[in-house]
Amino acid sequence: MPTFRDDMAGSSHDTAAIDFTKTPFAPASTPRKISAVRFSLMSSSEIGRAGVFHVFERNLYQMPQRTPMPNGILDPRMGTTDKRGGECATCRGNMVDCAGHFGYIKLELPVFHIGYFKNIISVLQCVCKNCSRILLNEDDQDMFLKRYRNPRLEITQRRLLYKKLTEKCKRCRTCPHCGDYNGVTKRAGQTLKIVHEKYSKNPALLEEFMKEFETALKYNEQLRASLPKVQDDLNPIRVLGILQRVTSADCELLDIADRPEHLLLTHLPVPPCCIRPSVEMDGVSGSNEDDITMKLIQIIEVNNVLRQGLEKGLAVNNMMENWDFLQIQCAMYINSELPGLSLQYQGPGKPLRGFVQRLKGKQGRFRGNLSGKRVDFSARTVISPDPNLRIDEVGVPIHIAKTMTYPEVVNKHNMVMLRERVRNGMAKHPGANFVKFASGGMQYLKYGDRRKIASELKFGDIVERHLHDGDILLFNRQPSLHKMSIMAHKARIMECRTLRFNECVCTPYNADFDGDEMNIHCPQTEEARAEAMQLMGVQHNLCTPKNGEILIAATQDFLTAAFLLTIKDAFFDRSQFGSLVAYMGDALLSVDLPTPAILKPIELWTGKQVFSVLIRPKASDHIYVNLEVAEKLYNKKDKTMCPDDGYVCIQNSEIISGQLGKATLGSGNKSGLFYVLNIEYGAEAAANAMNRLAKLSARWLGTRGFSIGIDDVSPAAELSAEKGRRIEDGYRTCDERIASYEKGTLPLQAGCNAEETLEAEVLGVLSAVREAAGNACLKALPRRNAPLIMALCGSKGSTINISQMIACVGQQAVGGSRPPDGFAERSLPHFRRGEKTPAAKGFVANSFFSGMRPTEFFFHTMAGREGLVDTAVKTAETGYMSRRLMKALEDLSLQYDGTVRNSMGGIVQLRYGDDGMEPTMMESEDAQPIEFKRCLMNVRGLNSARGEPPATRSALDAALDQFKRNNRIINVDEEGESAETRELVYSAGISQLFYENMRTFIINEVESPSDGVYMSDRQMKAFLDACARKYTEKRIEPGTAVGAIGAQSIGEPGTQMTLKTFHFAGVASMNITLGVPRIKEIINASKNISTPIITASLMSDRDVKAARVVKGRVEKTTLGEICSEINIVVRPHDLYLELMLDMEAINQLQLDVTIHSVRLAVLGAPKLKLKPQHVLIAGENILHVLPSEEALIEKRALFTLQHMRLAIPAVIVQGIPSVGRAVINDKGDGTYNLIVEGVNLQSVMGIEGIKGTETRTNHVMECERTLGIEAARACIIEEIDSTMGAHGMSIDNRHSMLLADVMTYKGEVLGITRFGMAKMKDSVLMLASFEKTTDHLFDAALHGRTDYIDGVSECIIMGIPMPIGTGMFRLQHRAMKLEVDINLGVSQMSRSCER
Amino acid sequence: MFEVIDRDPDGKKFDRVSRYKCRSEFDAELTIDVNVDVYPLTVGQRFSLALAPTLSLDGTPEDDAFDQSGKPSLADGYEYVMYGKCYKKVDENAGGLTRASAYISFGGLLMNLKADPKNLQEIEIDDRIYLLMRAV
Repeated sequence: MPTFRDDMAGSSHDTAAIDFTKTPFAPASTPRKISAVRFSLMSSSEIGRAGVFHVFERNLYQMPQRTPMPNGILDPRMGTTDKRGGECATCRGNMVDCAGHFGYIKLELPVFHIGYFKNIISVLQCVCKNCSRILLNEDDQDMFLKRYRNPRLEITQRRLLYKKLTEKCKRCRTCPHCGDYNGVTKRAGQTLKIVHEKYSKNPALLEEFMKEFETALKYNEQLRASLPKVQDDLNPIRVLGILQRVTSADCELLDIADRPEHLLLTHLPVPPCCIRPSVEMDGVSGSNEDDITMKLIQIIEVNNVLRQGLEKGLAVNNMMENWDFLQIQCAMYINSELPGLSLQYQGPGKPLRGFVQRLKGKQGRFRGNLSGKRVDFSARTVISPDPNLRIDEVGVPIHIAKTMTYPEVVNKHNMVMLRERVRNGMAKHPGANFVKFASGGMQYLKYGDRRKIASELKFGDIVERHLHDGDILLFNRQPSLHKMSIMAHKARIMECRTLRFNECVCTPYNADFDGDEMNIHCPQTEEARAEAMQLMGVQHNLCTPKNGEILIAATQDFLTAAFLLTIKDAFFDRSQFGSLVAYMGDALLSVDLPTPAILKPIELWTGKQVFSVLIRPKASDHIYVNLEVAEKLYNKKDKTMCPDDGYVCIQNSEIISGQLGKATLGSGNKSGLFYVLNIEYGAEAAANAMNRLAKLSARWLGTRGFSIGIDDVSPAAELSAEKGRRIEDGYRTCDERIASYEKGTLPLQAGCNAEETLEAEVLGVLSAVREAAGNACLKALPRRNAPLIMALCGSKGSTINISQMIACVGQQAVGGSRPPDGFAERSLPHFRRGEKTPAAKGFVANSFFSGMRPTEFFFHTMAGREGLVDTAVKTAETGYMSRRLMKALEDLSLQYDGTVRNSMGGIVQLRYGDDGMEPTMMESEDAQPIEFKRCLMNVRGLNSARGEPPATRSALDAALDQFKRNNRIINVDEEGESAETRELVYSAGISQLFYENMRTFIINEVESPSDGVYMSDRQMKAFLDACARKYTEKRIEPGTAVGAIGAQSIGEPGTQMTLKTFHFAGVASMNITLGVPRIKEIINASKNISTPIITASLMSDRDVKAARVVKGRVEKTTLGEICSEINIVVRPHDLYLELMLDMEAINQLQLDVTIHSVRLAVLGAPKLKLKPQHVLIAGENILHVLPSEEALIEKRALFTLQHMRLAIPAVIVQGIPSVGRAVINDKGDGTYNLIVEGVNLQSVMGIEGIKGTETRTNHVMECERTLGIEAARACIIEEIDSTMGAHGMSIDNRHSMLLADVMTYKGEVLGITRFGMAKMKDSVLMLASFEKTTDHLFDAALHGRTDYIDGVSECIIMGIPMPIGTGMFRLQHRAMKLEVDINLGVSQMSRSCER
Repeated sequence: MFEVIDRDPDGKKFDRVSRYKCRSEFDAELTIDVNVDVYPLTVGQRFSLALAPTLSLDGTPEDDAFDQSGKPSLADGYEYVMYGKCYKKVDENAGGLTRASAYISFGGLLMNLKADPKNLQEIEIDDRIYLLMRAV
């Protein structure tokens, strides 16, 4: 039971503070502050003292009056649940005021507390059942005590120590103190009984014991039958006796903080009524009682029977039966889900909920009520899109705005506004619901004279006004997978019923408008609003910290519109151009009209000019974007002159060339327009451009029109014919292959059998057919085709989708291969048995337009079903994975010294991600801070080199020297650095790596420019300055919750690994587990992974022959493979097994095997157990194995040999047993390496011909075992990155680095599982809110753990601001005596502060 | 003076814009996108082309703003006039012959002129340029 240690908060300063109209937020000004929670056992006397009275009455109500029974379980002295004004009999409070009081039940006989049952047994195993002393001699006691008292002992080690102690005690049979015999103490079967097997192994004692029964036997002969089973029963009374006599010195050894006898129940606390409310039923007499109440009734009932039995005397067996029943009832009171017990004692219907059930699980107290709470000031409704809203706005229905309020304090500036609000009252929109007077009291504005209230409004009064435009709201969509799932928007009150927002913001929420609902929350203080806007504002979250890519950018229709608008032949006359400009800025934007691209014969502006205006409307806007992006259309060679206009080039915000599509305007890249705007000119600029684009696109596309019809997907006659021809060709090729397969003439592919070869070839042919049909159809489509436009600009769909609609749906796959035979030897009964033709195995030749045949349709549904099932399964799996990651990493934050620490102050990383940079702001694709190329482009754009000579190398060197002088370069990995010079403090400085990269780039650009344009001296200097400035801006801020961000960044992509949960990628005909299962293996730190692979490099890596030799050494060779004959030879005086080695085969395989090595291998085989004299070399390649002497004597020698003949071919003569196979991999550059399936890295490294230093495994645990913890860390990073990379997802490797560090910083690889977590964290509350809730609580109570509320979970549970982010520091406010007049200007005020 | 030698060498891509390959008598090569809706050219047609930094007749440089005064200008003597910006200029070395190559974008309609460096030395990156065309 938890007890609270209270600390008085520092007494507030008496000096008069500044008199704010609004009181600023101050942490914990409440009288008491919880600094820690200590868990301990509750003694009987404590239970008695806590209870207000003794509960012994079984009945709930006194029947005629229907009032709660005095001394019953619903006695009003324990508080009341009566809503109609019932009163607590103890404190006279009503239901709201009185939190309730405990009662207690005195149990007539003690019972075991089910939560501590295991601990009781464990303690009994360690102490003498006679004298209650610990079963250790003095020396051992001293040794253990000394180690227990080590102040630096961590909980994990303490647990290990205790385990060691119990092991030692268990083995001790004779008590070193009293000399009594101690047997094995254990639980009796599945019952709640403990037996002490004192007699089974000790005949002398048994005899003595049996004598006790002689008298009984005389009178009851039937006893004799059960006599052999008799054991020493440790019933609760005896246990209580033993535990009471345990000395306190021994308690320390047993790691029990309190007295061990408290582990038994002698008194039972009865919880207050309010936690087990009694609900009276309407109409019918009687009430619905809580499960706890019901259980208490049963307990009291048995207890009363026991009491009467003890007082009056009852049959012993009857007494025992009742005692057992009491034991079980008390156990179920605490935990009703006892294995083996619950069923027989549980009545029909659903099981009653015990206390354990109340606490644990998702809906339990910890996860359901303490870690996640219901909130006020929130709303939820359906969402819909609105491109007319800014991206940082959310449209709120007026109905919500009238219910959700914000408490605004009346001051000089808002007085007029708030008066009007009060006058409007509840019903009219910009109104108010309540007024809270500074003098106390509250006024509901539905009633009363609102005019009067409004006129009497004073400074300091609080008006709970309706939401109005510009209020800050938090907008959220579940599942909240990353921090961008909840962002701060500005409210815009609208006449509507849905929440609305700009479609650009769909991506971070992962929202669509097919009926999705979203929530809004209204922060209620100015501090909360400010913090929300600064940290969670949409504009501050345009980029994801996952990899720094832009997340909020144009989508769908916006892309289509931009694509159509910037096509080369889009021309607009003056009026059209004017209206387009008006579209983008609500006709309010003042614009500098550009000179038209065509002046004569008529003035015509191009679409690209419209876009240039969109990026930079006025010449006075200092926004100069420079970028070059290749779009989907790009022909990969002509750059800007690409005939398809696919190369986007923007110079100084002017679109030079290229039709804008997803790469330029869409999300998920680091080179697009909005990304550049965001990075170079701030989020505001990017957001404004996005707003203009949204308005322009929606309005222009609305007038232009963009739709799709059946004619868009109808193939022309020649296209259908072309497609038919292609498919026929493909079918013919397949038939040929099948025919040759049936004849057995199919040439095999490497590492495959005939069937696999056929499958692979047929699949290849069919996918080529689909591709060809698709390409033919794409070629035939006109440029105006709507689906094609959407595919090309990237707004929706792909070319595959188009060709599926028009030409051919293609091969359907189930589980990665063609549909299996669900019927006997065939996939569907429409086909012949054993048919392997494309149509019979799931190839859909038709298109969605032409319609599928029934069999095709069926195959299509099979593939569709697989996808659905996969999604459902994957959601649950990744959700759990994210939860675990979050729990493990939640409390990591960046400290002011630049280290990453957990809540206990343990260092996880010395410098975040090795360079202390913010992943959100990394510009280059490989997560380096600055994309030099674009930076240079930008510098060039801003500083014209007109008339300046090119920069020289010497000038560059001078500039670099200057750069070095101005910015401290931190040597990240310089050897021989002393501890003092190593930078540990969070301070300015530029990493060596970055400096080198920059140096190489700039030298290259000065000496041989990449695109032929030299840079001037001024440009070069500007570039260096820009680099230095940007680098410092991109440093990560102290307080950042790097752990939480990391966990989200790894967990969120997991949900996107759709349909590929179990995906195999071929590496030289070898498969590797990928996707969610692989990520799970890595973070679980699994001991056994499904595809362990060792990649070994070779000493001579250009020689295939050498590689084959090494391969032979690695792969296991059995004796059977190199024996030409194995015979049993029977001769008159001779009986042996003759093995003849096939020397030719050995030479061919280039094995390193001789007859001697074979003999040793046979001798070493574990199962055969042969002795050296039985294995004889009988020739150059002949080995004789004789039967053993015993076998000869027992005349079963022949059987032995027969047995051996079967077993001996499996003996491994060479190679590593744990290795499956090895494959020589051609790396493509003429070098080879060896890929080994299996484990045992150490052996592989040791094999001759393998470069041990360049050999790695994908098995984290083995890596740790063989190479140590640092190698394991590197392995985790590498594996996570490669798995994510295989799915086309990039993650900043700062995140994987952090995860790897968390998994390894304790010195051993800990999985992100409940077991690993228990070793990483000390906080009881945190562990309890994760998994195994009650186990952790019981354990904590037993060992008297203290939880210093400093982690995230604990703080949430206790309702304390957590020490992360803005909660990391406190502000000290020097209160000064100031005469502040309310009308005093700000300038005067600041002056008086200076004084 | 240029002669059109090819129209849409990579196939017709756009309805209203065609890319023409032209050559002049001074061995200058020109690739240019032209709005064929308002100014169609045919293969073999000859036209004269001028590049000017300003349209004012007296050669006074103009500022960035669009001059809408409608006063008499250089354009009066031509049939097709475009306004754009030089975004790239490189020196190429093809077969021992140094050629300058200027790239100009007229609001997305691109032009590439390869000629003797001397003829192009007045054009620099970021220059605003008028293109004037007249059939001969």
